Order: sequence, then structure tokens, then C-alpha cells
Amino acid sequence: MGVRVIEVRERVMARNDELAAGVRARLDAAGVVALNLVSSPGSGKTLLLERTLEALGDELSIAVVTGDIQTQNDADRLARHTDRLVQAVVTGGACHLDASQIANALDAIDLERTRLLFIENVGNLVCPASWDLGEAAKVTVFSVTEGEDKPLKYPKTFRVSSQVVINKIDLLPHVDFDLELAKANAASINPALRFFTTSARTGEGLEGWLDFLRELVAASEVAA
Amino acid sequence: MHEMSLAHEVCRIAEAHLPPGPTRVLSLGVEVGDDVGIEVANFRFCLEALLSEPPFTGAALDLTIQPGTDLRLVYVEVDDGRPSH
Repeated sequence: MGVRVIEVRERVMARNDELAAGVRARLDAAGVVALNLVSSPGSGKTLLLERTLEALGDELSIAVVTGDIQTQNDADRLARHTDRLVQAVVTGGACHLDASQIANALDAIDLERTRLLFIENVGNLVCPASWDLGEAAKVTVFSVTEGEDKPLKYPKTFRVSSQVVINKIDLLPHVDFDLELAKANAASINPALRFFTTSARTGEGLEGWLDFLRELVAASEVAA
Repeated sequence: MHEMSLAHEVCRIAEAHLPPGPTRVLSLGVEVGDDVGIEVANFRFCLEALLSEPPFTGAALDLTIQPGTDLRLVYVEVDDGRPSH
């Protein structure tokens, strides 16, 4: 018998985190700000991106990586607004994007021509929170049809996000959604969160979101 | 929902630490932070399924839950057939 215990103590996410650090270094070197959009399915993430591309696609040289699981639908919709779209390789059962997929996607993006990169994650409020993709920040999108207790049910997503977009506010008259309570719930999880309230459908509130993106890119260029 | 991919990653790390030559894996020690964001029962199920296959066949799982956000493979216990010191 030669029984021995091999000490490992290795973090299981270590490989993803190494790849994410590599992605972050490439983005920093090229002066690209990356935002990782996280939400449940149906929050209006793709329409918000379409509106953002319409308004700022050229001004901020936006590129997009999208991770739709089963269809080309999101990619087809976004492709109408930009030719700078890369579809992450996602298999049928994937619940999140990981850093290796983003590292591969970056190879297909002209980073020197890009100032802002959106990563449209798989629609899911649980798993994407655990995976660093090398982004500058995670942005959670949730809609008024989902209930104001969403931050309490999915605290990790809100804890690791820097911004929250509360979308579909055009539906507020038709649903029992307490906007202030939703913000208070999110702030109780993460007091540093910055909020935007939008309707990607009607355009209401989009200016605040677009101004934030302009400021974010300008600030990163000053820092560089 | 990504419990299976994390279980695969645990096995990949464990395999990378196995000594060369014929080795029987007796147990794996895994620490799960209570804020890792996984379903522990599901993760255990996935890992035990993988531990029923070579090179781990028959290995026991020593899974402990700790405060925090880290998921770690702590140790691999093996019998490599060589005399122990």
C-alpha cells in the first residue's frame, strides 16, 4: 500500500479567471471598455442593445459578442444594426458564457477599431454571475414584468453588477411593480449599484443610459 | 445549472495532480463556499457520477461547505502501490 494525500488547494474557477485576466489585458491594451449584459430571458436585453447600436454604434465604435443558446435570432436582430457582431460558440445546454469563449471571440474583432464592447450573456440570472469574462463591469437588465423581488431572489447577480437597467417601464401602468421598492431591494444587496430606468420599446429613459455609455468610454480614454 | 462543468473541472485538476504510473484514487477533498452559486446536491450528484469512471473509479467524495465564494479541490488521496514512508 502506498497511500498518500496530494495537497492541491486549487480553485476550480482558476482557469477561467486566468483566461479572463488575459481578456482584460487585451481589452485594456487596445483601450476597449467591455460590458457584460446579464439578465433573465425576455428582459429586453437584445432590444436595448439594438437601440444602443442605433444611437451610438458608430459614435462609440461598438462591437458585440452574443451568446444565444439555441437560435440565431439575437444575432440576426443585432446584425441589422452593426457589422461588428461575433457570435460566441455556445452549445445547446449552456447556461452562461465563459472566458474561453470571449477569448476566442476577440480574435474575430478588430479591437483597434473598437471603443466599447458589449457581451450579451445567456439569459439566466444565476450562472453568469459566477463567471468573470474579463469585462470592465457587469450590467444587470431586468424588466418590470419580472417582479420587484428579483434582486432578493438572485442576490449574487446584483452583488457582482455595477449597473442595473430596469427595462419595459412603458408597461408600468399595467403591472403591479413597485419601482422604488425594486431599487431599494437591489440597493440592499449592493449599495453601489447605479440605476437606469428605460423602455427600449418607446425610447423613454434611454438618454440616461446612452449618456452613461458616452461618459464611461470618455473616462476610460482619459485614464489611458 | 453549470454544476456538471464545475464537476468536470474538479476532475481535470485532480487528474493533473495524479502521480505517474498505476494509481488508485481513494478520495477527493472538495470545499464549496456557501456563496459559490451552485446547487450543492446537484454538484455532488455530478461529481459522484464522474468518480464512478476511470481514473477515479470507486473514489470517495469528501465534500465540505465553508463560508465564502471559492470552490476548491483541496486534496487527492491516492494509492500508488509504492511503499509509504
